[in-house]
Amino acid sequence: MVKHGFMLCLLLAITVWAQSNVNPDISLIGTTGISTNFTKNDPDKGKLVFTDPEVEMLVEGYLNPFAKAAAVISYEDGSFGVEELYAHVVNGLPLDMQIKAGKFLVGFGKLNTVHPHAWPFLQRPLFHQIYFSPDGFNDIGANFSFILPFESFYSGIDIGVFRGDALTHSISAEDTYEAAKQRRGNNPIGVARWNGFFTLSDESNFELGVSIAGGLLDKQAVSVTGDTSLPSVIKALNFCYTGLDFKYKYKPDAYTSLVLQGEAILNNRDVVRSYSDGVNTIQNLDHISTTGAFMSIDYRFDKQFSVGCKYDFTYGLIGDTPGNTTLGNDSKNKTMGYEGWIGYYPVEETLALRLGFQSLQFSVADGPNPDPRNTVQLQMIFSLGPHKAHPF
Amino acid sequence: MKKIVIVLIAILSMANVFAQVKVVTTTTVISDFVREIGKEKVKVDYICRGDQDPHFVEILPTYMLKIRNVDLFIKVGLGLEGWAQQLIDGSRNSKLHVVDLSENISKREVPTTKTDGSQGDVHPFGNPHYWLDPENAKIMVKEISEALIARDPANAAYYEKNTHEYLHRLDAKMKEWQAAMASKRGKKIITFHASWIYFCERYGIVAAGYVEPKPGIAPSPSHNADVINIVKNNGIKLILMENFYSDAAPNQIARLTGAKVYKTATAVGGSPQAPSYIAMMDSIIKAFDGI
Ligand SMILES: [Zn+2]
Repeated sequence: MVKHGFMLCLLLAITVWAQSNVNPDISLIGTTGISTNFTKNDPDKGKLVFTDPEVEMLVEGYLNPFAKAAAVISYEDGSFGVEELYAHVVNGLPLDMQIKAGKFLVGFGKLNTVHPHAWPFLQRPLFHQIYFSPDGFNDIGANFSFILPFESFYSGIDIGVFRGDALTHSISAEDTYEAAKQRRGNNPIGVARWNGFFTLSDESNFELGVSIAGGLLDKQAVSVTGDTSLPSVIKALNFCYTGLDFKYKYKPDAYTSLVLQGEAILNNRDVVRSYSDGVNTIQNLDHISTTGAFMSIDYRFDKQFSVGCKYDFTYGLIGDTPGNTTLGNDSKNKTMGYEGWIGYYPVEETLALRLGFQSLQFSVADGPNPDPRNTVQLQMIFSLGPHKAHPF
Repeated sequence: MKKIVIVLIAILSMANVFAQVKVVTTTTVISDFVREIGKEKVKVDYICRGDQDPHFVEILPTYMLKIRNVDLFIKVGLGLEGWAQQLIDGSRNSKLHVVDLSENISKREVPTTKTDGSQGDVHPFGNPHYWLDPENAKIMVKEISEALIARDPANAAYYEKNTHEYLHRLDAKMKEWQAAMASKRGKKIITFHASWIYFCERYGIVAAGYVEPKPGIAPSPSHNADVINIVKNNGIKLILMENFYSDAAPNQIARLTGAKVYKTATAVGGSPQAPSYIAMMDSIIKAFDGI
């Protein structure tokens, strides 16, 4: 109730702004769609499912000549939420540094900082879902960004420090999230990314990025020796992600473009494995080193049409409830995804219709593989508000 | 010691003499004017190529780098360069001076009522394609001259002399263009985008229809049929369009009506015929030969 009251005040404030002369830009992005699946033994197989509409309201503007601020309020799964809320100091700081502080999409890789409605494809990369969360890597903190002094090409470094709660979603289910957050305590995580941007010709550009993130992910009671007569100790479970991303765009004219994009992650993290010695359950500390990656190609033609495909791979099982046991088994199980889409954009980004197909295939070390999960989704996205510039 | 200081001061002041004013412009028409006024005393670069649609320029870090160490950023304004502010922010150039050339232009098509998406991609501050009227080019040249003088007052006389010379050349050409267009007054044409109103107003040409049903909206078969009717009913002989748009729809209209499609650069460097603003206007005026 309190939350709804807050939202009402916010909406009211926005309406008042909109009528004054000095006002921020306001955009509203809606996503709605239907889907069906062709998965063996699924009770909904072949049935049309109307997905819940999602709304994103973006309010942004300049606070003063040096800083901007933005808020993204979302309505998803029947509730309002603050998806992003930040201030961004863009100039006037020493070393030409820019600072972004608040809650925002973390720059680990390139794709994570882009809202899903602006992706060429429909489905979030599988490794995001395993290593970040079903909603990506979105955290509270601050990012410091620098341009490196190269004359011939653009190169930048971002260094951020975040609360780290976002990744707690990757190790716990919704109902155990609060408990996991409590266990984690107050332990900020660090994220950094280097990126280089290369203009290859008038028509083509290439961006390369390397990211790293690390810190404390969880705390668990573990047996140090395996001897249950000795008391277990609380150990920190740490993680270190290393990522590589690239994007290549060839745009010979205003009507055609070809985008090749891919990202990969190397995950090193501590996990807990529990087993029974017949009498007691023993928890042991272990370490896993796993990977994940996606690669996509999107071809835009006649300005209004797009077709593309994406290959996805990740360790871990999509659809598994995250928890200690599943995390420990992540190194043994794999999910592969194949996605294809066609898109129709009649007038820029104001309206988009996208038809997508995804097939997920699972490989489980212990036990039979689950049936492949095949889904078809028809999506409609609309965007109300001022015309947006097109980022690379 | 004293000698060293004197030599140092001398070197520094020499460097100052040779220091160029660094300018980045959004379009090549503006950079052509800057070159004419500043000559070797300015270093000028641009963002949007002459054969590119200035409405849609991607936010590339390469462009931010271009703006990073310059003194002046000059734009057309009126919302044409919706991408400019993000480039400026990304450049992190806190000493950058931004000049909007639209300030003293008498603007056309300024919406008097609230605009929304049903009207297409309407320019909310008025039509920004004002550089296609050479009378407006003169206003732009004067603004640029003032901006350069403000940055580099030591060379004020130099800039003023070049400005005067260029305006003189422009005036002479304008007489030529006016003479060539005198017999075309009242003639109706079709244009692709609503980008020719300033040009049409100057030379008394009537834009009887657009290939785009609404600004920024792709041509559609039903709208093509309407345009074909307009062309037939008015005996229109010319479809004038920027060379970065697709000529599929104009060519179809031309095939069915006998009108000619004239694709032209509307920015400097947009075609081999347009190495300068004056040459570009020459090639546009040529479109009206024989109509
Ligand atoms: Zn326009």
